Amino acid sequence: MELKICHLYPDLLNLYGDRGNVVTLARRCAARGIDVSVTGAPLGERVNFADFDLFFIGGGQDAEQAVLLDEIQGWRGAEIKAAIEDGKVMLAVGGGYQLLGHSYKAPDGKETDFIGALDFTSVGVKERMTGDYMFEWDEPREAVDIVGFENHNARTYLGSGVRPFGKVLAGYGNNGEDGTEGARYLGVFGTYSHGPVLPKNPVLADFLIRLALERRYGGGVELAPIDDALEERAHGFMAGRLRG
Amino acid sequence: MRRLRICLAICVCKVARWGLRIVGRGGTNLPGKLAMRCCPDILGVLGQQVFTIVITGTNGKTTSARMLEQCLENGAVPAFSNRSGANLLPGITAEFVANASLGGKMRLPYAVIECDEAAFRRAARHLDAKIVLVTNVFRDQLDRYGEITHTLNSIRAGLEDSPNATVCVNADCALSAGMVAGLPNAVRYFGVETAFAQGGDEGTDMARCACGAAYLYEYKTYGHLGLYRCDTCNAGRPAADVAVTAVLDEAPDTSTIEVRVGGEIHQVTVNLPGAYNIYNAAGVMAAAAAADVLNLGMAVISAALREFRGGFGRMERLTVGDVTVRMILVKNPIGCSQVLRYLASVTEPMALVFCLNDKTGDGKDVSWLWDVDTAPLIQMGDMLASVTCSGIRADDLAVWMKYAGVDEAKICVEYDYDKLLAAVAKSSVPVMIMPSYTAMLTLRDMLAKQYGLKQFWE
Repeated sequence: MELKICHLYPDLLNLYGDRGNVVTLARRCAARGIDVSVTGAPLGERVNFADFDLFFIGGGQDAEQAVLLDEIQGWRGAEIKAAIEDGKVMLAVGGGYQLLGHSYKAPDGKETDFIGALDFTSVGVKERMTGDYMFEWDEPREAVDIVGFENHNARTYLGSGVRPFGKVLAGYGNNGEDGTEGARYLGVFGTYSHGPVLPKNPVLADFLIRLALERRYGGGVELAPIDDALEERAHGFMAGRLRG
Repeated sequence: MRRLRICLAICVCKVARWGLRIVGRGGTNLPGKLAMRCCPDILGVLGQQVFTIVITGTNGKTTSARMLEQCLENGAVPAFSNRSGANLLPGITAEFVANASLGGKMRLPYAVIECDEAAFRRAARHLDAKIVLVTNVFRDQLDRYGEITHTLNSIRAGLEDSPNATVCVNADCALSAGMVAGLPNAVRYFGVETAFAQGGDEGTDMARCACGAAYLYEYKTYGHLGLYRCDTCNAGRPAADVAVTAVLDEAPDTSTIEVRVGGEIHQVTVNLPGAYNIYNAAGVMAAAAAADVLNLGMAVISAALREFRGGFGRMERLTVGDVTVRMILVKNPIGCSQVLRYLASVTEPMALVFCLNDKTGDGKDVSWLWDVDTAPLIQMGDMLASVTCSGIRADDLAVWMKYAGVDEAKICVEYDYDKLLAAVAKSSVPVMIMPSYTAMLTLRDMLAKQYGLKQFWE
């Protein structure tokens, strides 16, 4: 089997070790003999989205995100939206997650249009929401707790067209008000969790890989189990700390 | 009344500091806070009596301060310094008070002060520095500062509050060089004019020209440092007043470089290895040259760079039992990538110990590990005997090392510092300990007690 990963804007959206997510996906595929490749899609460079099974987009600093706004509001945004509607699997973190929504409203009232692929909006606030956090994700056969680190100064409010990715157990999540974290829509998983999120949450990493493989090869893909003792321990440490 | 407040502030601060040391603690912040409570402008009162050289920036502050302190010592310039590394406003205040008489008179006329880049905004107006050395600006502890723009703004605000300072800036760092544009101050640039280090794969900060276009690079030395230009407006790296023109030798313990200062070429040996210490030395030469009142000739500066001792935990060489140990503080992806590149260049077997905490002093967010360029660890092959992961976030380190491609059989986790140091003392190969900030303080303290090393404030 083979799996093709596309890393969107690795040059600009590279904050908070997000590339650890791509490394994790690639290594977990390789450990099972899946032929995996990672291709970057930097600013101004067109790639054929139809070639890829799994997309990753990370977060950036405000100045860096401003640079790619033209592209996001233009041709690239349209391509990302089409890929999502086509059912491609995508993990979007932090700033990259926000970009998939309708818009961002700055504290001074200025509104910026984003891709609008997912039904949510974000509103900038002065107080940053920062710290270790945890949310419950009930999509796998058994619900799991996802641990990570959040650091955002926008509150995200979900519309009726998306479901939350999870239910906040500790920390802020989307907005610190309604207990939701992230957004789920078709093959898209949007979250504020960096840290990066996948190394310590191997269940999520494998879920994404399996979903992408099933889309390419048809249903019923089973991933061979691999040794996750270190990953589980790192997960357990943080989950234990947050449960208090 | 005012004189009384000053006197009270000094008394309280001195007594608190003395008391804390009696009980074996290097109390550096509390005494300063008490002094500021008694007399909010105590630092200004004391600072204006002193010719202060401030060192700020993301990486290299402590090492540069040790280098500069040695230059002053060799030049017989009477100076004090915040050696303990307490580089926030209270720590700096306490250091000034320690060097003042009870009546508020400073005993020494010169000071070398390292200042946290975020604290510089508030410290600058009190200090009235005569020289400010900005080492570089990299992303660091984003959980604390939010974004790198915040760091740039803070340093810029501090510089605007330092009207009497000559500003020494890293010409190769487009972020720092861009920040001094339009300042009325005299500016001296330092840099490297040889593509010696060659950047790796660490996550870098984007450097853009004021016009918005991305800089084009002829080469990068590391991170975003290098020879850059903007074709749109013909701007680029400023000419350097102090320039490293050649790296003649990179040995395990030293580097020998050729440097141009004021049109003359000198050969200088730096008593610490690593590309980033070459930059630190260049910055120090620029600051020393800018302080012309000190009359430090190149002979004095060169001797000082050859013999200075690094700050505690900064590539510090120790002997634990019979084992050679280097304590190398790591706190952000650029610094850590540089350290790993240096280790890969040392062609002898070694054991690595990472020790990662996530307290405020370390940064609560440990995601930065994943921005480190770990390729050098894999290049090391058999030279890498083992990787021990310790500290509060030992498990995260182990996962990071596994995904970096280090053989899992070489990775072990040890939470207990006593057992960790006992294993270090029994190692058959040299040990490189890479702790985060608070882990370094704890390990350094344990080593001091068990092996008779100096405490960090000494």
